[in-house]
Amino acid sequence: MNIAVCVKRIPKTAEADIFIEKDGSDIKKDHLVFYLNDWDGYAVREAALLKEKHGGEVTVITVGPEEAKEVLTRCLAMGADRALRIEEPPTQDSYLIAKILSRAIKNQAFDLLLLGVQAEDDNCGQVGVSLAQMLGLPHAAIVNHIEIEGDKAKVRRELEGGIEELTELKLPAVLTIQTGINEPKYVSLAALLEAEDKEIKDLGMEELGLTLSESVDTKIDQVFFPPVGKMAEILKGNPEEVVTQLTEIIKKKKG
Amino acid sequence: MKIDPKTFIQDYLLNICIQCGTCTGGCPVKFRSPLNMRRLVRQTYITNDPSPLFKSPELWACTTCSNCSLRCPAGVKNVELIMAIRNLLANQGEVPSTIRDALENTFLQGNPWGRFRDRRADWAKELGVKILGEAASETLLYVGCAPSYDPRVQNVSTALVKIFQKADLDFGILGKKESCCGNEIRRMGEQALFKKLTKDNTNLFKKSGIKRIITISPHCYNTFKNEYPDLTIPVQHYTQVIADLMETGKLKLSKALDLRTTYQDPCFLGKQNLVFDEPRKILTFIPGLEFVEMERSRQRSLCCEGGGGRMWAEGGTEGTRNGEIRVKEAVALGAKVMATACPFCLLTLEDAVKISGLTSEIVIKDISELVAEAIDENPITKFQAPNNHQ
Ligand code: SF4
Ligand code: SF4
Repeated sequence: MNIAVCVKRIPKTAEADIFIEKDGSDIKKDHLVFYLNDWDGYAVREAALLKEKHGGEVTVITVGPEEAKEVLTRCLAMGADRALRIEEPPTQDSYLIAKILSRAIKNQAFDLLLLGVQAEDDNCGQVGVSLAQMLGLPHAAIVNHIEIEGDKAKVRRELEGGIEELTELKLPAVLTIQTGINEPKYVSLAALLEAEDKEIKDLGMEELGLTLSESVDTKIDQVFFPPVGKMAEILKGNPEEVVTQLTEIIKKKKG
Repeated sequence: MKIDPKTFIQDYLLNICIQCGTCTGGCPVKFRSPLNMRRLVRQTYITNDPSPLFKSPELWACTTCSNCSLRCPAGVKNVELIMAIRNLLANQGEVPSTIRDALENTFLQGNPWGRFRDRRADWAKELGVKILGEAASETLLYVGCAPSYDPRVQNVSTALVKIFQKADLDFGILGKKESCCGNEIRRMGEQALFKKLTKDNTNLFKKSGIKRIITISPHCYNTFKNEYPDLTIPVQHYTQVIADLMETGKLKLSKALDLRTTYQDPCFLGKQNLVFDEPRKILTFIPGLEFVEMERSRQRSLCCEGGGGRMWAEGGTEGTRNGEIRVKEAVALGAKVMATACPFCLLTLEDAVKISGLTSEIVIKDISELVAEAIDENPITKFQAPNNHQ
């Protein structure tokens, strides 16, 4: 069973101070650390588990800058066998990323394509399903359990309100993986250093028959902080002062 | 994966064990988990393949307090054995998820909590502290992760700055360039990451042109002093520095603290590095303070369970925490304050006070906080000893 997993390198922003570039095109990233997108970590681990069970090979693919090789190395340390980096286009448009991936994957004998449900940075959640459409393959999104039986994949999908859906797909198929589907293993620094010796293939857009000026669906006009709402009031001072102010407000509201 | 036990036997001297059980007898988590050091040594010694043995979750209950290896009459390297097993597990990715996160966080952000690296020195912003690189000093105050980020322990960092400034001690911090010392990282089994941290930190220290290092945490002190192969700069724990400042008359305390106070010896400062006297000297130097010793003290001090990565572990132990036992011992002595000199002791003991419902009986303070308190009339915190007996 040969599996391809498409992954993304994302900046970690949860704890960070966020600043916006002067031209408003993006957030500033030079002070941020980058990592493998959380959802993709689960997808790679799932691929490694399926490989343990059913044999075959795991290929990881990313569209990104040279530095994105870091996350591919991590994936290799997690159990992937081959890695491919495709040069990134000037805009990170989901449609275009899916198109690039579809070109790279088309005509290759994969039984299963796994992607994270979405990426932590833009949260679009479009690449997986668009890729399935472009390749003409069946797909299931937000998958939290996979069982392979012959040429079929039986999967559980997470729906709203704690409901799950059981779906059967004919292979090859595309699945977008939800966090929590497994427990990702720790990747030690020793394992990372060892994986650094493994080969990572590089591919340009032209080699896939694409140009750097491919048409895109979306373009970012401006990045900005959400305007401060009128109802929000931020209390200032040390903890004691804040608590005093807060109790005053609550008392007043209580009437 | 089959593991050859031979290397374990050779490297940690398992063959010289006489099965006396002293290790297990002195283990602070023996009543809190199935961990049994004597049995572990024996089983690893006689088996052909210890891998099933190494899957036992209780291996993560060890606090690396080092009681076992310090007391072993034969000289078995018990704690090193635990760390080697954890190293094997970490390299296979088989670590509990919360430990995994702590290790990944350290790799990414330089601290096990995953707090943003650029915010590491935010606590010092208003304190007029030199940042090495922007200003020069021969003395580095190596802050450490908990004192940089944990709001409770930041109070200790602030107290120390205040004390050093009062004593006219010239010092600087590394600011956001500082990274985790790696003491806990090594004890959680990530030897390669530990090595990387030792290299990066040693280079950074050398480049900064410092001549001595003062640490806040005994854990940082321990690893800089004993485990950094190329670090030749002398390292001191802050209690040694303050004791010296007091003895040489550079630090004078004007305010009396009329408090009956006892002291918890942190394992990494006391039994592992034999710094027993300086903390006591400081406490007895504080005007008004009445120092009382708990029955189990110095080498026999009870581990608070905060070491060995336990700060990031979830579960794995059950029953009454050592911290609770310790706090009750202190209360029974009539102590109003239990002082300590370690961020982890501070946090675990403070939790224990809350859990045991003893907040009106006793408070946990770092020694530095008491000293800062005794310096002048403007305390950095509104410090109040519990006093419900009036
Ligand atoms: S204390 Fe030393 S000799 Fe005694 S049982 Fe433990 S390891 Fe063996
Ligand atoms: S280091 Fe401490 S906690 Fe760990 S086994 Fe030894 S005595 Fe027990």
